[in-house]
Amino acid sequence: MDAVARFVPDGCRVVAVGGMHLHNNPMTLVFELIRQERHVARLVTSPSASLNADVLIGAGLVGEVATSYVGFEHLGLAPRFRSAAEAGSLKVLDLCEAAITHGLHAGASGMPFAVLPQGLELSDVWRANPECYRMIVDPFGQAPVLVVAAIRPDVAIIHAAEADEHGTAWLAGAHFTDRIMAMAARTVIVQVERVVSTESISRRPAGSTIPGFLVSAVVEAAGGCLPTSSHGNYPFDEEAIKEYLRMARTPEGFEEWISRSTAVELVATK
Amino acid sequence: MSDWTVPELMAVEMSRHIAAGEVAIMGAVSSLPMAACRLAQETHAPGSWYVAGGSGAVNPHLSPIPESSCDERLLQADCVLPLPDVVMLEGRGDVFDVFFAGGLQIDAHGNTNLAQIGDVAHPKLKGPGGVGLPFLPLAGRVVVYTMSHDPRTLVEKVDFVSGPGFLGGPAEWLGKRRSGLGPALVVTPLCTMDFDPSTLRARLRSVHPGVTPARVQEMTGFDLRLAPHGEIRETMPPSYRDLEILRRIDSDGLLRRVA
Repeated sequence: MDAVARFVPDGCRVVAVGGMHLHNNPMTLVFELIRQERHVARLVTSPSASLNADVLIGAGLVGEVATSYVGFEHLGLAPRFRSAAEAGSLKVLDLCEAAITHGLHAGASGMPFAVLPQGLELSDVWRANPECYRMIVDPFGQAPVLVVAAIRPDVAIIHAAEADEHGTAWLAGAHFTDRIMAMAARTVIVQVERVVSTESISRRPAGSTIPGFLVSAVVEAAGGCLPTSSHGNYPFDEEAIKEYLRMARTPEGFEEWISRSTAVELVATK
Repeated sequence: MSDWTVPELMAVEMSRHIAAGEVAIMGAVSSLPMAACRLAQETHAPGSWYVAGGSGAVNPHLSPIPESSCDERLLQADCVLPLPDVVMLEGRGDVFDVFFAGGLQIDAHGNTNLAQIGDVAHPKLKGPGGVGLPFLPLAGRVVVYTMSHDPRTLVEKVDFVSGPGFLGGPAEWLGKRRSGLGPALVVTPLCTMDFDPSTLRARLRSVHPGVTPARVQEMTGFDLRLAPHGEIRETMPPSYRDLEILRRIDSDGLLRRVA
């Protein structure tokens, strides 16, 4: 696919992938990264990743992952994430939900770091991840406060229900952190269920769109979140996810699943 | 309707902890607390609120109860907040009265771990991660729940604190606590625990019908300090009305499929 070839260099420093839990994972773009063997030094996820991160890790393309959750909720743990983390071949930068969300806010606002609420220092998460978290003294008081580095992805790949030919995209259903992720990234590639007219997008409510000037490429991919859901369009395919979880227990099974899923190439619109 | 299931009993037991007007929040894999909150709204806690995790949905109307915390069906709700707004409000420390939390490990002081079993650098089991659990010290009260009551899950001390409970006990807790009151209950398939106010250790509050205190101790990885001849009451079973409402909400029978 053109969009990935043009905007995601191999060895990209920070790639953010959108979607949350079993929903709105931009699987067409994820599969394309795998098809083109794009290595990612650091993968950043929403507060809760699932198939999107697990397949990139399984394909051996991820150096480290910055995340607060990779799993499949009621369906189980993430097999390739777990295996790579336990084998030591994947570095996991454990974050908390606040660090990801506020870190993306900082990235989107041009701020160098975000201050986190007091109380979060009581967990072990920040101590285990000095690359992302620091403790500083509140300049307005005396108390120590936890800060998290801004998250500034080089590329964000996200899913939206619709976009127009100028790249303005509309998020149906829950937005999760996808909108803030797009605002924080230097380059944004959006995959959509369908390309629609500008007139149609312009009727969408404030706060539910991503303006085209932030978007470098739109890829039309109907059904492109499957087997995860696409809010406003289809639910997740539980049987297909279960099949993945069965096959991905072994590297061989994973290879078979992934070669089947990456067989088709798609074309960018913008 | 006396043939209730253990998940139904747990949902009813969790719902009893929510009071009228309170605001509850929950994370991933939350069909039990969602059911509990809905039940509370329709019984003893009118005007209570709940926010369904990553979906940002406020008071989802849900029937049936979706298994995924970000399911689109949850958006049929009183209103929907963007997730970044929920994360902002979690930081205030005076918005959420009850936080429902789980863990791969839960310890005697109510700390929870979703990060990993074993060493950080060389985990024996890498868990999914703690998401919003570090917010627990900022929630009014924490209700911990698990479907796995065994010595691997209920441990003396967690390997990693994702969700802080009473930390290392009274001294550390009193020195470091924030706005929240800490863990209030641990609800499992065998029993309900609460916390001894002087030691801040989990203690047996009630055993579910058919379960003995000795059985709970056998399946628990920390010392419950049961008195040799102490009386432990039985968890009140769901009422006819509880089950009627619960089964209307849970129209797919999720809580009736015993794990």
